[in-house]
Amino acid sequence: MRRLAAFLALTAAIPLAAAQSWPSRPLRLVIPYAAGGPVDVSGRLLAAKLQESLGQPVVPENKPGAGGNIGVDQVAKSAPDGYTLVMSAIATLAINPSLYGSLPYDPLKDLRHVTLLVQVPNVLIVRNDLPAKNVKELIALAKERPGKLDFGSGSTGSTGHLAGEMFKMMTGTYMVHIPYKGSAPAIADMMAGRIDLMFDNLASALPSIKAEKLRALATTTRKRSSFLPDLPTLDEAGLKGFDMTTWWGVSVAAKTPQPIVDRLSAEILKAMDAPDMKERLHNMGSDAPSVRTPDQFAAFAAAELKTYTELVRRSGAKAE
Amino acid sequence: MEGIFHNLGIGFVECFRLQDITLWGMTFSHVPFNIIMCLIGVLLGTLIGVLPGIGPVATIAMLLPVTFNLSPVAALIMLAGIYYGAQYGGSTTAILVNLPGESSSVVTCLDGYQMARQGRAGPALATAALGSFFAGCFSTLIVAMFAPPLAEVALKFGPAEYFSLMVLGLVSAVVLAHGSLVKAISMVILGLLLGLVGTDVNSGVLRFAFGISELADGIGFVTVAMGMFGICEIIGNLEQKEKREIFTSKVSHLYPTKEDWKRIWAPVLRGTLLGSALGILPGGGALLASFGAYTLEKKVSKYAHEFGKGAIEGVAAPESANNAGAQTSFIPLLTLGIPSNAVMALMIGAMMIQGIAPGPQVMTERPQLFWGMIASMWIGNLMLVVLNLPMIGMWIKLLTVPYRILYPSILLFMAVGVFSISNQPFDCFLMALFGLLGYVCAKLGCEPAPLILGFILGPLMEENLRRAMLLSRGDPFVFVSPSKPISLGFLIAAAILLVIIAFPALKKKREEAFAAEDT
Repeated sequence: MRRLAAFLALTAAIPLAAAQSWPSRPLRLVIPYAAGGPVDVSGRLLAAKLQESLGQPVVPENKPGAGGNIGVDQVAKSAPDGYTLVMSAIATLAINPSLYGSLPYDPLKDLRHVTLLVQVPNVLIVRNDLPAKNVKELIALAKERPGKLDFGSGSTGSTGHLAGEMFKMMTGTYMVHIPYKGSAPAIADMMAGRIDLMFDNLASALPSIKAEKLRALATTTRKRSSFLPDLPTLDEAGLKGFDMTTWWGVSVAAKTPQPIVDRLSAEILKAMDAPDMKERLHNMGSDAPSVRTPDQFAAFAAAELKTYTELVRRSGAKAE
Repeated sequence: MEGIFHNLGIGFVECFRLQDITLWGMTFSHVPFNIIMCLIGVLLGTLIGVLPGIGPVATIAMLLPVTFNLSPVAALIMLAGIYYGAQYGGSTTAILVNLPGESSSVVTCLDGYQMARQGRAGPALATAALGSFFAGCFSTLIVAMFAPPLAEVALKFGPAEYFSLMVLGLVSAVVLAHGSLVKAISMVILGLLLGLVGTDVNSGVLRFAFGISELADGIGFVTVAMGMFGICEIIGNLEQKEKREIFTSKVSHLYPTKEDWKRIWAPVLRGTLLGSALGILPGGGALLASFGAYTLEKKVSKYAHEFGKGAIEGVAAPESANNAGAQTSFIPLLTLGIPSNAVMALMIGAMMIQGIAPGPQVMTERPQLFWGMIASMWIGNLMLVVLNLPMIGMWIKLLTVPYRILYPSILLFMAVGVFSISNQPFDCFLMALFGLLGYVCAKLGCEPAPLILGFILGPLMEENLRRAMLLSRGDPFVFVSPSKPISLGFLIAAAILLVIIAFPALKKKREEAFAAEDT
């Protein structure tokens, strides 16, 4: 019994000692998606920066599968020593728990959220020859032709899909959801006039908006985006309180010692504020997120989880 | 026409522009930096093409952060080089050890490996390199001259058109096999079923995953292809204890003979044209290029009976087609800003991070970038053929390595390659399982190629079918309505092909032909 007590005391002491010498060996940054997406790219940028400031290699590792759940689960169950980080996102923290029914991890209890890295607004885009020139006209058009308008999205349960469902709920309209595999083919179909509208993240929609191949009607965020300062928000256009962004950041296993979380958060914020990194994240469509500290991020993730659980339930989008 | 020359002038000047570069604190003055990046790109591309499993997507993703410190032109030239360089390298392992590293080289295995078994690995490799070179140059010209109008054509392809194209592809999958029709159809259907594993696009429901979360995104193509071809071949070889063939003892020449030249020019031309056309289509067009070219060749060639037994046309056509397709798949990216595959999506990522919004305005606002990239494709293709032809001798030497050393190395490379895709050991076990399945199929006389095509096309076909039905609100006539002539045309072509395959009189002839062959 005494041995056990000694053992417990010892294990309790380890994290403190470990926190002081952290990091003493290479870190892993798990990216729960296939290489090449925006989360992957920003993760690799961050890994390079952290490597400089922490003085230890930070190795990005792609662990795709099950909408990101596999990679996040591995980190949730990893040793809470601050050596295994994960790029956590709106999908894995806020949407998948209700979309998939049961997840192997609890996004709030099994993970400690460190810092929010990127927040990209979604934009409401319509095909060029759609008669609606603004949000009000679009709502009128959707009411005039119930069930006739098609809205595309990158996948079932994506933020684009759920923004569309939210729009339908708030306006009392009915439009048909057409899911694609990624937003690029949906944009192509919209250019060709096969679908009418779409909520897409700013980064992937911006080139087509700039080239005037598609028309933007509004952003889905409370604040206007610095990329399209003349574009009204849905909130301004009458859908009060409409506020949806696509976001991702860095999380670690829940029991990671506080000093390590704080240090990690400070280093990530420092990396994000570096001019070159700032510019690159900005080029991905992200205005600097307002959520910064670990506690802010945790509260934000909890609020988002609540919003999307409700939204997924009411929209009927659910994977088994 | 003059405009083109002017623009290409800009491009070549940009490629060879001498720059002062600072690397690792050292300054190099007057170096043609862009062309050096092109060389690095094609070298890397060839290397990853040769290594099974490690594809251009993973490589480009890993190199993205490095490219941020380069100028946009240099970065894109290098990334493009990796992409089309991989198309050259991919054929090497397919021909030498029956190991398709990319989806496009599956068909190259069919005849390329048979040629290697007959001691004709040299001509097969040379044909692949030269065919790719011709196709690359030709299709780059198409990109330079007709990119904007062709992009409009690509937009004409909606879900209905894609579905009908896939139907045509699937019917032609049966032609890929040279044995029993029933077995070929069964393999296509087995492939379709395997393709269904994973998350349903429309409802998000998991299908055939049996609670295994690694199966939630479906089975990887590389896993299936390496198992069914690579591992199966190794098992088969080890089974023949003493008599393992020694390919090199029969090597008579490294390069194609005069007779070969006569046989390959027409298939190369047809493959290039078909590949260029299919490459333009985002969403699976390029995948079909090499399969389509092989099927076409088998139908029109007077050496049709040799297909599957080492016909040089069976290497020339698909290799030209896949390289042509790789080149023209830049069209939707450069003119519309729409990526046609994962590599193109990465290129968009690279452009955005550099602060360039891809799309039609790139051509006018940044002519150096646009035309520099096009010019680099010619230079890169030239570099590739110069690099690859002398390497043939070296590759042939590889075949003299004793099999007891060669096969564990191949297995190791395959395992590393498969593991590197998603860092899951599960995929390696799955590959081994497919190796066993491939072996059983081989014993039953069922060929893997139709299965692979069914596996690739099945999910695409389902996705487009259901999307077309959603858009038409459930009207099945959407595929044959006169307002969709492209879709109708494909379905008619598929029906004709089906009749040719299934018509009893023709079928009998077909069997006779095979019976004659077998004796």
